[in-house]
Amino acid sequence: MEFNYFNDAMKIYLDYISRQFKKNPNYKPHSLIRAFLNAMQGIETAKDGENVSGISFEGEENNIYEPYMVILQKKKDGIEIKETINVKVNKQIPIDVMIMIFRLQTQLDKIDEETVNSQQVADALNAVIPGNKFYFLGDKWKEARDKFTKLLNEGKINLLPNDSRLEEFKQINDNTPWENYSSRLRALIGPCLFNDSNVNERMVITSPKGVIIEKYKVFDTAIEFLLGKISKYFKPFEK
Amino acid sequence: MKKLNKIYENYFDIIDSYFGSIKHYLGDSEYSHIDLGINMANYSLVADLMIDAIADLGEEIMKFWSENTKPILDSIKKQDSLKCVFSGDITPISLENFVKKSLLYIDTVVIPDPILNLTILQSQITLDRKFYLNKLIRHVFNVWRLKDLILVNTGIKPLIILPINFQIINDKDKNQLLLNAYEKFTNYTNSIFMQKFTNREDSLIFLKQFKTASEIFERIKQFNVLPNTFKKGSTFENFLTNFSNTKKYFQLGNESVGRDFGEYLLSQFIRVQEHKFFCEKVSGEPIYDYDLPYFFFSYEMGGLDMDASITNALQKEKFNWITKVPLPALKVFREENKLEYMRSILRKGITDLKTKKDDDLLKTSEQLEKNLKEAFKEQEKEIVSLKREVTVITKKEIPIATIGSIVGFIPYIGNYISLPFAFRSITNLLDQRKELKQKIDDKKTDFINLLIKSYKEE
Repeated sequence: MEFNYFNDAMKIYLDYISRQFKKNPNYKPHSLIRAFLNAMQGIETAKDGENVSGISFEGEENNIYEPYMVILQKKKDGIEIKETINVKVNKQIPIDVMIMIFRLQTQLDKIDEETVNSQQVADALNAVIPGNKFYFLGDKWKEARDKFTKLLNEGKINLLPNDSRLEEFKQINDNTPWENYSSRLRALIGPCLFNDSNVNERMVITSPKGVIIEKYKVFDTAIEFLLGKISKYFKPFEK
Repeated sequence: MKKLNKIYENYFDIIDSYFGSIKHYLGDSEYSHIDLGINMANYSLVADLMIDAIADLGEEIMKFWSENTKPILDSIKKQDSLKCVFSGDITPISLENFVKKSLLYIDTVVIPDPILNLTILQSQITLDRKFYLNKLIRHVFNVWRLKDLILVNTGIKPLIILPINFQIINDKDKNQLLLNAYEKFTNYTNSIFMQKFTNREDSLIFLKQFKTASEIFERIKQFNVLPNTFKKGSTFENFLTNFSNTKKYFQLGNESVGRDFGEYLLSQFIRVQEHKFFCEKVSGEPIYDYDLPYFFFSYEMGGLDMDASITNALQKEKFNWITKVPLPALKVFREENKLEYMRSILRKGITDLKTKKDDDLLKTSEQLEKNLKEAFKEQEKEIVSLKREVTVITKKEIPIATIGSIVGFIPYIGNYISLPFAFRSITNLLDQRKELKQKIDDKKTDFINLLIKSYKEE
């Protein structure tokens, strides 16, 4: 049986979108699909050999998330997809990443609200990206903090002496709630929980428990992890 | 009928909505649905996407059946016809082949909805994802291949899908069925091992002690109440190994081989209760496509009556040649109302009394084979005699009539008939010949001849 990855994945996902529309006429498909649809509208009036682009994104004017550009070329016998680019990381989206994006959408669609908490973010990302790479620190932040303190005292944390995070950490005491730590300090402390194991293979989500974010922001985390600057550290496609 | 067809059109719309994107991969071979299930489950990344995308299928199908079960049941109950309800697996290995054999004798085959059964199973015990997708696609497309037969516009529907699952039975009946099953299981275990347990828990505890199939086999005291598969050590061991291996997809624990055996037996007695319940609901006979689940039903009922026995005997391997007849021929067979004729052929020499004593349906299947052979001989004789009649008309009658018309009269009992009348005579004769030739052609292509052809090619 000769499969066609792109066609099959697209058809399965488009059928899924149709079913979602039936349940909810206001359903918004992922911006990648919207970019395709925008490009397809342009193709109708294009001449043979002409390229047409479609763009779509989430968020607001000053805060854009999940921006995609799709370039199609009209051919005599059909349409060729020239580029499918995530504009934020400025990279072509490989088919396997595209499939993960579609899957992430289906995972997030199971949550009724438009926002998700950090545990839900970790669960959704782990469901689609192999290797259980995402961990929500949650209540383990104190354990992480204590480990960080120990490592710092042992001289095993390599920071410049005037790093503002060190200054901030000095002001903190045992009773300081996690919410009062800056996000930069939390990001430094969180991964220490795994210092003696696979710290380089896991992305620790250090947001305080009550924090919620819009669903569309989760995709940026996924793309950053899979294709962005940090992907070289986590090697997401290595088995 | 229109209402039922509308319901089933909606059913197939659901299948199309969830699986239409891959239906072009379904081949023509009789087991292509099985291949498709395996290949899709192994289709890296896309399989995961599909599993995620169809996550709400269970909810959708439950909603469908909550709205549509009653009109189908009402319609089927009104039917004064012979119905059979399938059990023993999600769907028969090849639904098409199963239906070809069954519809020689029965009016309507009722099969459980595979989508409902698999989605319920998945929600209860979390099957391995790829295993689940494999089975879902296999069984869905097994049904999809017979879409035309399900939507056929005959008076009595030959194939009906219904929600048949223990979980949708009301609590009161379900509890009673479970109690019945527990009792039957305990009695059965007692009779195999010559024990005196009074409840299923004690039976299961007893069985748990056995760590290997041979340990169990050595303790069996009564072999005559076992299905054939369990009567030989090697086949018994094979069966238990396969059963234990399948459990890994169900994420159920493995306590011991003995416990597995106990769970299997118990599951069969529960399944029998479920099957009986739904057979009674539609006033249908039970039908299976392989021996093991058939055994337990027959054990429960103390043998089956004639109709159930004939229908089940037809499923035996020796009748596989029936499946070579093309499906459209079966539709024509039904449209031409030849079922009663076929039924009368098959029933010869078979009675309720005989079948109840025929545990493994060997005698019934032998009689069926004999009946079919005799019918084929008759059919072939008829064709030969029809051919002779046409030859007679051609040689003796038409030429005379033709000569008569040319001279303007026809010799008719010593008299003469005028030309117009001669023309009518010729027309009659020509019509008669045409009719006979048509009868021969019909005979050659009709269902029985196709059966003969398949039988001879076997």
